[in-house]
Amino acid sequence: MPLVSLSNIVVARSGTTILDGIDLDIESGEIVGVSGSNGSGKTTLLRTMATLVPPNAGNGTVLEARLGTPDIYRVRPLIGLAGHQATLVPELTLGENLRHFARLAGIDQDLVPEVLEVVGLADAAGLAAARCSNGMKRRTDLARLWMSSCRLLLLDEPEAGLDDDAVAIVDALIKRCVARGGGAVVVSHDAGALHGRCSRTREMKDGLLQ
Amino acid sequence: MTSTRQIVEILRRELLIERRAGEVITIVVPFAALALALAPLALPVDTDVLPRIGPALYWLIALLFGLQATMRSASQESEVSELEAMAGVDPAVRFAGRSLAAAVLVFGVLVALAPLMVVLYAPAPVPGWPAIIPSALLLAAGLGMLGVLAGDLTAGLRQRSALAPLLAVPLGVPLLMGSAQGFDYLARGAGILTWTLLLLATDLVLAIVGVVTARHLQEAKL
Amino acid sequence: MKGQSKLNRASQWLALAATVAVGAGLALAFTSPPDALQGNFVRILYLHVPAAWLAFLAFGVTALGSVLWLVTRKPRWDRLAHSSAEIGVVFTAVTLLTGMIWGRPVWGVFWSWGDARMASTALMFFIYVGYLGLRRAIPDPDVRAKRSAVLGAIAVVQIPLVYFSVYLWRGLHQLPSIRPDGPTMDASMLTAFLVNLVAFNLLYVALLSARYRLAFVEQTQPGPVAGTAVTKPRLEGAVDG
Repeated sequence: MPLVSLSNIVVARSGTTILDGIDLDIESGEIVGVSGSNGSGKTTLLRTMATLVPPNAGNGTVLEARLGTPDIYRVRPLIGLAGHQATLVPELTLGENLRHFARLAGIDQDLVPEVLEVVGLADAAGLAAARCSNGMKRRTDLARLWMSSCRLLLLDEPEAGLDDDAVAIVDALIKRCVARGGGAVVVSHDAGALHGRCSRTREMKDGLLQ
Repeated sequence: MTSTRQIVEILRRELLIERRAGEVITIVVPFAALALALAPLALPVDTDVLPRIGPALYWLIALLFGLQATMRSASQESEVSELEAMAGVDPAVRFAGRSLAAAVLVFGVLVALAPLMVVLYAPAPVPGWPAIIPSALLLAAGLGMLGVLAGDLTAGLRQRSALAPLLAVPLGVPLLMGSAQGFDYLARGAGILTWTLLLLATDLVLAIVGVVTARHLQEAKL
Repeated sequence: MKGQSKLNRASQWLALAATVAVGAGLALAFTSPPDALQGNFVRILYLHVPAAWLAFLAFGVTALGSVLWLVTRKPRWDRLAHSSAEIGVVFTAVTLLTGMIWGRPVWGVFWSWGDARMASTALMFFIYVGYLGLRRAIPDPDVRAKRSAVLGAIAVVQIPLVYFSVYLWRGLHQLPSIRPDGPTMDASMLTAFLVNLVAFNLLYVALLSARYRLAFVEQTQPGPVAGTAVTKPRLEGAVDG
């Protein structure tokens, strides 16, 4: 079974169609790149695959859970989504954020110091998320993904706001996921950034994947 | 991760956030206290009605500002709700955890305002007043759930700060009456069982509706 | 297309029937005998009582539409709930206003907290207003349907509790409800009542069907595709030396 199987997925918001009939299959081991200009719907596509946006029409399964049904709650912990904005509680420290996520998701908390090391934030664990730079917050997001053994990685503009070291973390994350039979979708407005990493690339235009 | 542990974890987080950067203790309670203190200033200086209206005003202000306290909860922020969603927390569990946290904050408001009301309004002493504590707990629970529901209904809307209370307050009338009338009956030596049962019934109804509609509401993001 | 014109004709007949019935009802309201105790003020009740009944009916339909939408996700239930709420808020306002107009001469006050039903109806009015306010604030039709359906579901279980709590409060101090006094209602007064009741029901159905069709047309307009609004910027000559 493919990791992701989308058939004629339509997503509309406030009367505007954002995804106009998306067809996409992602098999285990694939790294799919999605490029497109601003406003083309790349982020919405990613969030739909993350089961956060229910489709208005069409059929889709993600990790064998049908979109728009209660099955999606079961598979969410296996999906690793890293968006533009880091998903962090501003008032908690980076370490607390990761421990909180671990406790909610049923992940061993002892992994937290390890993953902070991996992303190079071991010394910043005690800093409140609100006080950290965007780059640090995004690295924390990557640490969260590293901690949860996700089968599907969904990365939105992973290079934005990250230095070369951090970009290396992204590559390692993807490699690790794929090596374990998972897959990844990388979204970027910069088609060049995708070529090196992805097994295939498609372009989002007018709500459709070309 | 069992649901109970997730609920407790959400509660812990909310209380931790409130302790560090919260607005309930530093803004909502002072504002409610101010409202309580202002009412006598709007009445004639030689009025003798204060001891009789004190408790009534207390419950009314508890309703209005208690709801405000629930809206200040950080769990309304989209990043937090996304974090919980991607951690695989079931929407009904999210509702339960957030409502519990909101209820604790509301109870805090009730506890903070009570002595102030007694001081400012000098109501007649009510022997057996501890019997109102279960009602106060039920009130806090009800307002917690109502606040979370109203917050979810208006999440992401520009008009949220005015619209959420407009939705919650009329629906919260049984909570107001259960506690205010219950206290009044207690003061007059009558039984408060019926009023307490009304509060219990309201809480049960809100809990069931909240759990059943949790998935629908969580999907309805702007 | 044939189905459409059939529908239009049915609506036209309905509108006509409603107009005739309301006309008849008003005529009877003015020509029926005055009440033994209330005199001519009883005429207001020919408006007030049916309006109150309809406010409840409209709200019930909104609640039903909300629950059905949550279960089936069919847009027609959302349209039904919304249309009924708009009409219901008007009937609730009419109920409250006619109650006040009646109250002033008969009770001596515009508003009496002694009537639990009026107090509860006032609260229901606010809940309706909130429902419509919520709908107006949400631009996305799908989110709007979801959230207002949930609010409708909450309201349907909470409103009985609201009414119950107000009744509990009034206890034995309940004032006589707004209805004609006297041991039995005169046959012509009864006729006037029933005709007005039927007329208001027809009016409700006519208004509901018209509002529903309007909602249908509004919601089925196609919208633009998002990405097409972004084009390549035109920079030649924009930056001068």
